[in-house]
Amino acid sequence: MTNITWNDQQPIYKQLKEKVIELIIDEEVCDGEAVPSVRQVAADYQINPLTVSKAYQELVDETILEKRRGLGMFVTESARDKLLESEKNHFLKVEWPKIMQKIVRLGLSTDKLINNKNENPEVQ
Amino acid sequence: MTNLIEARGLSKSYGSYQALKSVDFSVARGKIVGLVGPNGAGKTTILKAILGLTSYEGELKVLGLEPDRQRHEIMQKVSFIADVAVLPRWLKVENALEFVTEVHPNFNLERAKYFLSKTNIPMKAKVKELSKGMVAQLHLALVMSIEAELLVLDEPTLGLDILFRKEFYNQLLTEFFDEGRSILVTTHQIEEIENLLTDLLFIRDGKIILDASMEEIADKYIEVMVSKENAEKAEALNPVMQRDVFGRKVYLFEGVSREELELLGELHSPSVADLFVAKMKEGK
Repeated sequence: MTNITWNDQQPIYKQLKEKVIELIIDEEVCDGEAVPSVRQVAADYQINPLTVSKAYQELVDETILEKRRGLGMFVTESARDKLLESEKNHFLKVEWPKIMQKIVRLGLSTDKLINNKNENPEVQ
Repeated sequence: MTNLIEARGLSKSYGSYQALKSVDFSVARGKIVGLVGPNGAGKTTILKAILGLTSYEGELKVLGLEPDRQRHEIMQKVSFIADVAVLPRWLKVENALEFVTEVHPNFNLERAKYFLSKTNIPMKAKVKELSKGMVAQLHLALVMSIEAELLVLDEPTLGLDILFRKEFYNQLLTEFFDEGRSILVTTHQIEEIENLLTDLLFIRDGKIILDASMEEIADKYIEVMVSKENAEKAEALNPVMQRDVFGRKVYLFEGVSREELELLGELHSPSVADLFVAKMKEGK
């Protein structure tokens, strides 16, 4: 895990949890692999170990992570599929409607949206 | 025993000057508590009382013991790093290790050697030949090698550069802190350690004016950025502080519900530094 800048709108454990989810989806940590120890994450980000435990615990409750006795925390076998599914759902239900609204408000056509990429190659 | 420190009606006067005015607080096991206050507020007096370095009135228990009468026993289980470097300049690093081995029953020499092996500090060097950062590293190596239940840090990173400061807390978290121990820390660089803390104590004029866990603080103190149209509504809710940012007003509320505030604008958690400024101005 590299740098994170925390925002002040969400508790840090929530942001850390999101970061772990991102890492799993981007396959930086794969199914069945270990995640860094609570202690390590706490030291790397200079945050309280309880904050890290809380983030990990929520992921355990959602069966994204599992605790293996004496070995630490691991990504569960089907974690990535599960996350992709729920992230897709979240996007379609929460984020997409907002984007749609904005598209309608700005009066953008489908054509314009799709071809825009070619006009501005740096914005992809 | 879950409270490593317990103070009830703790008071201290220097002549007619009352440095501590009957303060109550406790530090539970497994916590990292920040003691924050302006200069002269009474922080050092509290730390001195805990370490048995000063007399006091009222009740104070540290690991179940009374510091003013059982200092010797307390010193075996409590470690301390002060803001003033107290290692003698002529002392060699290896002699410092020997000395602590001799005088401290709970000192683990192998651990200290291990910590030092990870630094650039030579065993044969004298303290006066070390940089300020190295002296702090040496201090930390000595202190972390003591099997202490309570670690008291008084401005431990004063005068160190940002790399050393980060490394200092990094070491503390990887090599020392666990749920069986507690750390009480004072620092003016509060923004650097606020995410590290579990609890916060604000002290002003010898009184504790805030004593809460970081979670309680996040629930209780909310900052809202309000546009001009909503300013009146915001002011009706009695904000504890306001400041201007880009022509909009940012209000800090204490104990007002999120639901109510969400109608006014975007919610933020105040930084400990902002909260500190607000609490220090309160009632003045």
